[in-house]
Amino acid sequence: MRYLKLLTIFYKNSILKELEYRVNFLSNAFMSVFWLVWGIVGVSIFFLHRDTMGDWTYPEVLMVVGLFTFFTGVMESLLRPNVGAVIEQIRDGTFDFVLTKPVNAQFIASLRSIVIWRLVDVIIGIAVIVYALGQLHVTPTPTQIGFFLVMIASAVAIVYSIWLVMVSFAFWFVKIDNITELFYAFYEAGRYPVTIYRGVVRVLLTFIVPIAFITTFPASALLGRIDPTTTIIGFVFAIGSFIASNRFWNFALRYYSSASS
Amino acid sequence: MSNNFPIHVEHLCKYYSVHQKESGLAGSLKSFVRRKYTDVKAVDDVSFTIGAGEIVGFLGPNGAGKTTTLKVLSGLLYPTRGVARVLGFTPSERRAAFLRQITLVMGQKQQLSWDLPALETFLVNAAIYEIPDDQFKKTMRELTELLELAPLLKKQVRKLSLGERMKCELAAALLHRPQVLFLDEPTIGLDVTMQTKIRQFVCDYNERYGATIILTSHYMADVTALCQRVIVIDHGKLLYDGDLRALAEKIAPHKLIRVEFSQPLNGQRLEEYGEVVSARDQHAELLIPRDATSDVAARMLAQLPIADVTIEEPPIEDVITRVFEQAAKARAERGEKDEDEE
Repeated sequence: MRYLKLLTIFYKNSILKELEYRVNFLSNAFMSVFWLVWGIVGVSIFFLHRDTMGDWTYPEVLMVVGLFTFFTGVMESLLRPNVGAVIEQIRDGTFDFVLTKPVNAQFIASLRSIVIWRLVDVIIGIAVIVYALGQLHVTPTPTQIGFFLVMIASAVAIVYSIWLVMVSFAFWFVKIDNITELFYAFYEAGRYPVTIYRGVVRVLLTFIVPIAFITTFPASALLGRIDPTTTIIGFVFAIGSFIASNRFWNFALRYYSSASS
Repeated sequence: MSNNFPIHVEHLCKYYSVHQKESGLAGSLKSFVRRKYTDVKAVDDVSFTIGAGEIVGFLGPNGAGKTTTLKVLSGLLYPTRGVARVLGFTPSERRAAFLRQITLVMGQKQQLSWDLPALETFLVNAAIYEIPDDQFKKTMRELTELLELAPLLKKQVRKLSLGERMKCELAAALLHRPQVLFLDEPTIGLDVTMQTKIRQFVCDYNERYGATIILTSHYMADVTALCQRVIVIDHGKLLYDGDLRALAEKIAPHKLIRVEFSQPLNGQRLEEYGEVVSARDQHAELLIPRDATSDVAARMLAQLPIADVTIEEPPIEDVITRVFEQAAKARAERGEKDEDEE
């Protein structure tokens, strides 16, 4: 209840903050649409020459693109401005103010702000997924939708955990921009179904940097291509990474050195 | 044993592992390939206790370990060794019940949201600290009056002057009426009038709520105005803990005699009485060894046409400078290197 109240006030302030800069708001919304169109154009060009990508058809790949856009939205509106911003706060020492508050530091660090214009990506992403389903003439069964939602939730938890672990490294190394860049490079790979990658890369993208969980698996769930076991494995994996990242974060906090005044 | 003291520190040590870098590009490359790490002893075996309602000044040059001590006490840093207890809590556990009762104000860092009016941050803090509405209103009224905040609350923080911002920072940090305040250079960069106001406010807050306060400042005036007791730290070591005036007596080997003559001096030489600091027209200031003060003053009264004489402690700034000079000299004699830590 108390945390809910905090969230409300955090988000109210974030929105107020963004409304301070109207031009920024509009130009950013424009950028979102631009990148989505660019992504779809890329896929369309590919399918001018081929009928399938891996063993995915055009609407199926479109669904992956939709999910990718959806996750980009989640990441840019909720993860980067929060967990991502911790890196900067560690560097300039303002993280002090998070740690001296009588509220769980991970809660503040993870949910303090929201970049609402990036929710545009989330909405567009959902629209693309629905459109792709229409193209496929598929109506998912309630079970498939259930699996899909579990997969989405797991994916959010996994991406969040990856961010939290990356950021925790900043407690030792302070400057870790390159680690986040590396993550983005891998993340880009999630734009297409991971089944198009072969051998080592595919294993890497499934288990080491679990990009497959973000786009490919939820899409598979919606298309009925995934068995319950995989869903459960994904779910357990998500919970495991969430717990592990939380442990690591708490351990890393001990090494906060608080930039000098 | 000393749980009656809100702040209790025993053999506290905080070491940082830092890599050393030689100057220049070659040095940077070398340190990039292979880093030599050394322990910097930011706080080295410091012990003290502070009683309820006390205002204690932390003095020391840059990098002495003042801020590090405050950060350990407010739970930001894990101590390397030793004990720190604040209000019966171990700060580094960062229990909510502990954090609710303390505050940390840093003159060089800000928690106010840059793009929003300060009032918005106050509301966030009110929610974070779960301050009931009526208490929030009451505290806001008091703080607004004490700090003259009324015209500032609705302006975006980025549009405020440094001094105005500091006043709002203080208010944001004190909304939950903490019992223990750690103020790290709260007046840095402010003009004299604003410094005085902040000082007065800290004093009022202390009286009104009986809060325990540790203050660090580069401005001696802050310390002399607010603190009876000072703790002097240099290179992580505690040099002195006690009454501010006693420090002057202990450290300064001289007193300052100020004399006013009834008529211009007639060739008499002042040098034979002591070290002449200044001599202009019919005024003069001399430094006299502490033990000889009364003898010399008596001799001067007998031998010179004196209209008025006062004996004072030398300015506290000079005293403090002398403490650090002595500490540096002692270190040099022990053969320790004098590293610049900041």
